[in-house]
Amino acid sequence: MFFWIIAATLTLGACMAILAPFSRRHEKAARDEDHDLEVYRDQLAELERDAARGLIAATEAEQARAEIGRRILRVAAERKERPARGEGTSFTRIASLAAVLAVPLLSWGIYAGLGSPGMPGQPLEARLAQDTGEASMAQLVARAEAHLAENPEDARGWEVLAPVYLRMGRGGDAVVAYRNAIRLDGETAARQTGLGEALVATAGGTVTFEAQQAFEQALALEPGNARARYFVASGYLQDGRTDDAVSIWQAMAAELPGDSPWRGAAVEALREAGVSADAVPGPSQEQMRAAADMDTDDRTAMIEDMVAGLDARLRSAPDDPEGWQRLVRSYVVLGRQDEARDALDRGLEAMGRESAQSDELASFALALGISPTELEE
Amino acid sequence: MTVEIGHFALVLAFVLTLVQFTVPLVGARIGDERMMAVGGPTAVAAFALTLLSFAALTYAYIVSDFSVVNVWENSHSQKPMLYKVTGVWGNHEGSMLLWIVILAAFAALVAWFGRNLPATLRANVLAVQGLIGASFMLFILATSNPFTRLNPAPMEGRDLNPLLQDIGLAIHPPLLYLGYVGFSICFSFACAALIEGRIDAAWARWVRPWTLAAWLFLTGGIAMGSYWAYYELGWGGFWFWDPVENASFLPWLAGTAMLHSAIVMEKRSALKIWTVLLAIMTFSLSLLGTFLVRSGVLTSVHAFATDPTRGVFILGILVFFIGGSLSLFALRASRLTTGGLFHPISREGALVLNNLFLSTATATVLIGTLYPLLVEAVTGDKISVGPPFFNMTFIPLIIPLLIAVPFGPLLAWKRGDLYAACQRLFAAFAASLAVVVVVWFFVDGASVAAALGIGLAFWLIFGPLTDLALKSGVGNVSPGIAMRRFAGLPRSVYGTALAHIGVGLTVLGIVAVTTLEVERMAGMQPGDTMEVSGYTLRFDGIRPHQGPNFTEDQGVFTYFNASGREMGTIISSKRLYTARQFPTTEAGLRTHGLSQLYIALGDRLPDGSIVVRAWWKPLVLLIWLGSVVMMIGAGFSLADRRLRVGAPSARKARPAGTVEAPA
Repeated sequence: MFFWIIAATLTLGACMAILAPFSRRHEKAARDEDHDLEVYRDQLAELERDAARGLIAATEAEQARAEIGRRILRVAAERKERPARGEGTSFTRIASLAAVLAVPLLSWGIYAGLGSPGMPGQPLEARLAQDTGEASMAQLVARAEAHLAENPEDARGWEVLAPVYLRMGRGGDAVVAYRNAIRLDGETAARQTGLGEALVATAGGTVTFEAQQAFEQALALEPGNARARYFVASGYLQDGRTDDAVSIWQAMAAELPGDSPWRGAAVEALREAGVSADAVPGPSQEQMRAAADMDTDDRTAMIEDMVAGLDARLRSAPDDPEGWQRLVRSYVVLGRQDEARDALDRGLEAMGRESAQSDELASFALALGISPTELEE
Repeated sequence: MTVEIGHFALVLAFVLTLVQFTVPLVGARIGDERMMAVGGPTAVAAFALTLLSFAALTYAYIVSDFSVVNVWENSHSQKPMLYKVTGVWGNHEGSMLLWIVILAAFAALVAWFGRNLPATLRANVLAVQGLIGASFMLFILATSNPFTRLNPAPMEGRDLNPLLQDIGLAIHPPLLYLGYVGFSICFSFACAALIEGRIDAAWARWVRPWTLAAWLFLTGGIAMGSYWAYYELGWGGFWFWDPVENASFLPWLAGTAMLHSAIVMEKRSALKIWTVLLAIMTFSLSLLGTFLVRSGVLTSVHAFATDPTRGVFILGILVFFIGGSLSLFALRASRLTTGGLFHPISREGALVLNNLFLSTATATVLIGTLYPLLVEAVTGDKISVGPPFFNMTFIPLIIPLLIAVPFGPLLAWKRGDLYAACQRLFAAFAASLAVVVVVWFFVDGASVAAALGIGLAFWLIFGPLTDLALKSGVGNVSPGIAMRRFAGLPRSVYGTALAHIGVGLTVLGIVAVTTLEVERMAGMQPGDTMEVSGYTLRFDGIRPHQGPNFTEDQGVFTYFNASGREMGTIISSKRLYTARQFPTTEAGLRTHGLSQLYIALGDRLPDGSIVVRAWWKPLVLLIWLGSVVMMIGAGFSLADRRLRVGAPSARKARPAGTVEAPA
């Protein structure tokens, strides 16, 4: 409300500025020629001063005086020829009225299209001072982030923040937070499961190789972890190992108590299992099935083949931002850091150092712990 | 709410400038005095509104209101307060807002001080100024709105480019904009004269102070930018012939030419058409500079945004104003009467020579700046026209002009005597020659070129001093009378002399640094020493330091003079701004008189030592002090009484007439 009062006052002021000359009593302004005459008289006076001070010689002064005199005569002649300025007509009144009306109409119209009149200002101080109870999730997170920026080695801080990120849909940040917690305070089943979930979230619901590893690690630490079991089974399903997935879910449905949410989830998954198993991006179904049947060494070899294929393709067709990201991630997953950095360097080179894509690639790689060679040196 | 009021004020100011453009223009056309008078109050009101809008944005920065996209993108809650405020114009949107605030301020000044202007001229000037303002406000509202909101608001901003987190940002852009935009007034005056088809006698008198003021600010802005680059970029250069620098140098060259041609026009009613054309060209070059810098055509620290729609929009404004004004010029220039005749050897002739050289120099720099862009646009090849091109073209062009500078003020109007001028300058010439000889024989490492360059600089200093001495009658009258005559000289005479001496000082600094500079580079371990031009630097080691929003490694140096006395410590550091992970170098500077010792840290070598580059920069400060002297000269000229034009009315004796100077 207060805003509209001020806006109206400003508009009124603007209209007054236009109306002012019309309301004033009309006085006859001097004619242009009179201004010229004044300037010439001024020049004459200056000439006299300079001559008196000895800055110019007497003959020069005489010449200049004659020249200014000629200009004065010319202006006087012009003055006679040109008619005096006319008076205002009804056109004037209509034009001025239109101008005055245009101000509120145009300004309010444009502002309605551009502005956010209802939105209050949000000074940071006031927002941080808000009660914790009233503070939004984002504000709490900001406070935690500020704290962690100053104490990056605080494992508990990362641990608390990580699930919040996940719930807010900030999967990438959650991955970083879980990794920090694991790095600083060791592995636990809960942290590995959380990391896995965060990875699934960033991959748009796909249980990636990395995520699968995290869930399996969680199960190694705590064999009965229901959440990890559920996701491992989902991963099997995506890999085409439907039977393995179904057997895990069946075991969960049988073992877990009736009030466990994971029992319900397993039952639901079993119901869908027959129908779903949609194709996932990446290797084809046949390849997946083949990979599932292989032992670990063979599987790694096959993955390496695929990575090498991707690498070769990107060498010949480098304009593929997503391809570069996949390549860097693959090398990281395979534990080949140097090649990951090399892939990153090549990717940055291929997409141009200043481009948005290369920025994205660089930050993607940084999240995986890989930085370009030039920064290392 | 404050932010929204700022936004609304900007919209309202846009609409008002539209009125400021249309109503007075129509009024001047049909000869209606009331409609013409609308220009004044609307210009003042539009200025007040843009100022309000700017204040609202500044407030949002000060309180870190991240619900404003612009604040979120360019500020950070941990940033020191000074940089929160300067950050307002340290980005594309905010800097354009500052641009229009200054534009509106100049329009308001014309409205305020222009009461004695002929009514139609005033109306037309304000109309053109309104049109420029409206175009840029439309540009801001349509493509670069600094008041766009963000909901929900983030809790932390992205911080300002660390290179811009410097006191330089507080001074350089506002000065530069005052210069750029100041030329818009000259442009508006030129267009107004063309629209009317008549140049009033007062025209030149009115345009000159605006040109002077704009030139003064632009000189300061360029000098400040140069000094900033010198100490911030870490390799000690003061001018790089970088396209962005050229973009500010071009209007300066054209503006300098206009400054001189406007004198001829004012004193002798000659060169009218040329001056009008220069006024158009100068502002066009300012617009071109804005386009080059803001469109993202050039990648540099100045290119805050690279959004193609903005580039196209500014290009549209550019084409409209340059094309429009030049068409107007083509249509109307023939209606302007030409003025008095003059002999080639005369003050006018000297000023024409000045203009000839300056416009050729402008064209040279323009070609060097645009050619690579054209080549890239046409063939896609990236070529670089670097300093060699400019050194080979610009310097040979400017040297004859500099040699000629002291002659100009000594020649009489209309018909001068070159031989007499040479005689009068003989002493200055002999003194400069003596300087050449002294430098050649007594300064270590001085080449012939260095000696001649320094001689030229002193010629530029002695020449104007001779002029001042002659005008006060030294040698002809007793010293007492000469003193009094000196004190009574018109201020414009001081202005001319100071500006020319300032050029001499800058030339002296440039020649001294480029020819006599000493550079040393070595990998240093703590305890190592290095000799630089008689000083001994001892590297004491690297110590870490934590700033408010950066961490830095400070290299500490102790230095000793030739006799081994300890002179103090110099700290040179490498900073890392954490929010953007952005490294910068902070040079270590120590001033001795007008010279500086300059130390920059380089990379670490495998053996753990660090690369240290040290320079002895003789007389380097003169480069910028010379610009300050030029600015003071412009200030004196601005204060000259002949720039105050009286209004035609049956008044008593004018003050100028009553206060007769003692002669």
